Amino acid sequence: MASLESLTEDLLVRIYKGLASDGDRKSWRLVCRDFHRIDALTRSSLRVLRVEFLRSLLANYPRLDTLDLSVCPRIDDGAVAVLLTSRGSPWAFPRAASSSLSPPGRDPLAWTRGLRKLVLSRSTGLGHHGLEQVIRACAYLESVDVSHCCGFGDREAAALSCGARLREVKMDKCLGVTDVGLAKIAVGCGRLEKVSLKWCMEIGDLGVDLLCNKCVDLKFLDLSYLKVTNDSLRSIGSLPKLEVLALVGCSLIDDTGLQFLGGGCPLLRVIDMSRCNGISSCGLISVAKGHEDLVQLNASYSLTECSSILLRCFKDLKNLNAIKIDGARVSDSAFKALSNCTSLVEIGLGKCIGATNLGLMRLVSGCVNLRVLDLTCCHSITDAAIFAISDSCRNLTCLKLESCNMITEKSLYYLGSFCLLLEELDLTDCGGINDTGLEYLSNCLELSCLKLALCPTISDKGLGHIASKCRKICEIDLYRCNGIGDDALAALSSGCKKLRRLNLSYCSDVTDRGMEYLGQLEELWDLEMRSLFNVTGVGLMALAAGCKRLADLDMKYCENVDDSGFWALAYYARNLRQEAKLVHLNKVTVEGFELALRTCWVRIKKVKLLAALRFKLSSDVRETLHSRGCKIRWD
Amino acid sequence: MSSPPSASASSSPPPCPKKMITLRSSDGATFEIEETAALQSKTLENMIHENCASTLIPVPNITGEVLARVVEFCSKHAEAGVDDESLGAWDEEFVAVDHTTLFDYIRAANFLEIPTLLDLGCQTVADMIKGKTPDEIKKTFKITTACTPEEEEEVRGENQWAFE
Repeated sequence: MASLESLTEDLLVRIYKGLASDGDRKSWRLVCRDFHRIDALTRSSLRVLRVEFLRSLLANYPRLDTLDLSVCPRIDDGAVAVLLTSRGSPWAFPRAASSSLSPPGRDPLAWTRGLRKLVLSRSTGLGHHGLEQVIRACAYLESVDVSHCCGFGDREAAALSCGARLREVKMDKCLGVTDVGLAKIAVGCGRLEKVSLKWCMEIGDLGVDLLCNKCVDLKFLDLSYLKVTNDSLRSIGSLPKLEVLALVGCSLIDDTGLQFLGGGCPLLRVIDMSRCNGISSCGLISVAKGHEDLVQLNASYSLTECSSILLRCFKDLKNLNAIKIDGARVSDSAFKALSNCTSLVEIGLGKCIGATNLGLMRLVSGCVNLRVLDLTCCHSITDAAIFAISDSCRNLTCLKLESCNMITEKSLYYLGSFCLLLEELDLTDCGGINDTGLEYLSNCLELSCLKLALCPTISDKGLGHIASKCRKICEIDLYRCNGIGDDALAALSSGCKKLRRLNLSYCSDVTDRGMEYLGQLEELWDLEMRSLFNVTGVGLMALAAGCKRLADLDMKYCENVDDSGFWALAYYARNLRQEAKLVHLNKVTVEGFELALRTCWVRIKKVKLLAALRFKLSSDVRETLHSRGCKIRWD
Repeated sequence: MSSPPSASASSSPPPCPKKMITLRSSDGATFEIEETAALQSKTLENMIHENCASTLIPVPNITGEVLARVVEFCSKHAEAGVDDESLGAWDEEFVAVDHTTLFDYIRAANFLEIPTLLDLGCQTVADMIKGKTPDEIKKTFKITTACTPEEEEEVRGENQWAFE
C-alpha cells in the first residue's frame, strides 16, 4: 500500500523538519537516496568529523548556515586554502571529490555566502593566515567561536576583526590575546552583541574600555577571570543595551566599581559576580537598587556576610528568578527577608554558614515557587527542614544536599510523597540514607540525575527500587558506594535504558557479570570505572561490544584487564574519541597499548597514559598520535 | 459527515442561519461543512472570499472516506469553547490510524491547505521515526529502495562517519 516514499518532496521535507534530534536526522538520511537528498537540501547545520570530506560536504549541502569544525582533526591553514580555491581541482583524497549527489555546475564557494556561524573551538592547528582567509571569504558570518585555541594571540584577533558583520565572538582561553588584539576587534566589528573573553588573562581595562566605546550594541559580556579593575566597570556602565554580565573571579573589582554599574546599564538582567573577593553586600545593594528588572544574581563565594538590608532590597525586584549566595553567612532573619521574594525559582545556599532548619522553614514559607535549591554542605539541617521544603515547594525539580549528613530516609519519604516533579537529587556523602529511603524516593518518576557518591549504606536492593520505577534516569553517581555490586547493574540495565553517565569507581564488588549487564545499555556515553579489580578482559569486551556510543572512559587502576579486553575496547568503541584514561593497567602489555592506540588513533582526542610508557611506546606511535591531533597526557 | 447544528431555542433573537458549503469527493460523495469550519482551509477560504463557494466544490484528489474525516477535523477545530487539553487529546485520537490513512490526511491537508492538520500529520510521522534505526524506518514505512550497490555505498559510506 502507500508508503512514505509516495509523499511529495515538500511533504517529506516537512516531516524531516519535525525530527528533533541529530541522531534521528542521521537515521533519516541513511534510509534511502531520496531521504538523503532531502537531508542535503534542508540541513542547516553540520558538525564535520573528517576533514577529507569537508569540501564535498560543503558542496552538497547548500543550505548550511552553521559549520562546526571543533571535532574535526587537522584543520589548518593548508586545509583552509584548499577549501577556498574556486576551481574544482582534484582534492588530495580523490574518493571524496566525485559524488553523484552533487549537481554539476554548482559554484563550489556558494557555502561561504550562506554561512552565518562558524565553530572552530580547539582548532589549534589553524593560524592567523588561514583564519583571515576564512573570515574574509564568509562575508556574512555573524558568529565565530575560537574558544580554547590557546595559542591564539593578537594576530588571530586581527584576523577576526576582518569580519565586519560579526555579532558574536567567543574567545575563551585564547591566552595570547592582549588589549591590542581586543582593540582591533572592537574597531573592526562594530556590530558586536555578544563577546566572551573568559580566561584571556592578558586583557585589561584599556581593551575593555575601547570595546565598550566602539561596540555600543553589546548585550552579553563575559570577562570572567580577567584582571580588570573598577575602571572597566565604569566603561561597562556606559553600555546602554547590556543585559548579561559575567565577572566571575575578577578579584580586583570592589564596591566602588559596583556603584558605577548601579548607575548604568539600564537593561541589565543577569549578573554573575561569583568568586569576586573584593565585593561586599554594599556593592550589591547599589546594583540591586539600580536595576529593578534584575532576573538573576549570582554572588557565590564572594560575600562573607549576606546582610538583611541586601536581602530586603531584593523584595523590590519583582522579576528576580535566581539568586546564589553560596558561602555567605546568613541569619534566620535574613531568610525571613528573602522569603518575601516570592518570584524566586532558584536559590543557591551551598556552604552557607548559619543555614538552619528554622531559617529554611521561613524561607520556603514565602518562596513556594522554588524549583532549584542548593543546600550543599549545610550540615545542620535535618529531616524537619526537608519536610518543610517538600511540603511548600511542590514544583521542586533540583535539590542538592551533598554532605547533609543528618538527613535520613524520612526526608526521602517526604520528597517521594510531595515533590513528584523532582529530576535531580544530589545525596553525595549523606551517610544517613539507606535502601528504605531509596524505595521511598522511587516515587519520583521524573528523576533523571541521582548522585549517591560516598553512601556506603546503600546496596543493590535500594538501587533496584530506583531502577524499577525511575525510567528517565540518565545519570547515576555511585562513586565509592561499597555496597553496590552486579545485581544493581542488572537492575539498571533492565530499568534505566536511557542511562548515559555512570560512575562506578571503587565499587569493587562489580565483576565481569556486571559489565555484561552494562553492555545492554546502548545509550551509555560516559563511564568511570576506576579500580574495579574484579573486572577482566572478558568484562571489558562485553562492555565495549554493547555500548556503542561510549565516548568517555576512565579505567584507572583496573589491574586485571589484559590485552584481550583492551583490544576489544579499541576495536568496538568507535565513538571513543573524547577521552580515554588508561593509566595503571598493569596487565596490559606495551604491545597491547600500541595495538589499541593504532586502531583508534583516528578518533581519540585525548589519552592519559602512565609515564613509564613514554619510553616504551615506539616513537612512531607517539608521532602519529600527535599528528592526528590527539593529546597525550602522561601521568 | 457533519450535520448542521439546529438553531438554538432561546429568548434572544435567533442567530443567522449557518452558511453551509458542499464538497464533493473523488468518488462522488457529497459532504456539507459549515463556512466557519471551512475557513480552516486556505483553499476553501479563498474560494469563499471570491464567492465561488455557493455551488458544489469538487475535491478530486480526496476520497469520500478521507474527506469525511477532514471535514470532521475542521468542524472540531472551529468549535468554540473547547479547551486546549481536550482538543489535544482529540487530535491524538484522530491521528491514531494506520499509515496509509495518515498519509492520506497529510495529502488532503496539503491540497486543501489546512495548516493545523498538516502540522499534526507531519509531526505524527516524525514522532514515529524518532529513535528508530534506518533499517527499522525502512521496515515500518515499507520503503523499498531501488538503489544500485554503488549508490547504496554512497549513501551509507561517507554518510555514516563523515559528519553529524
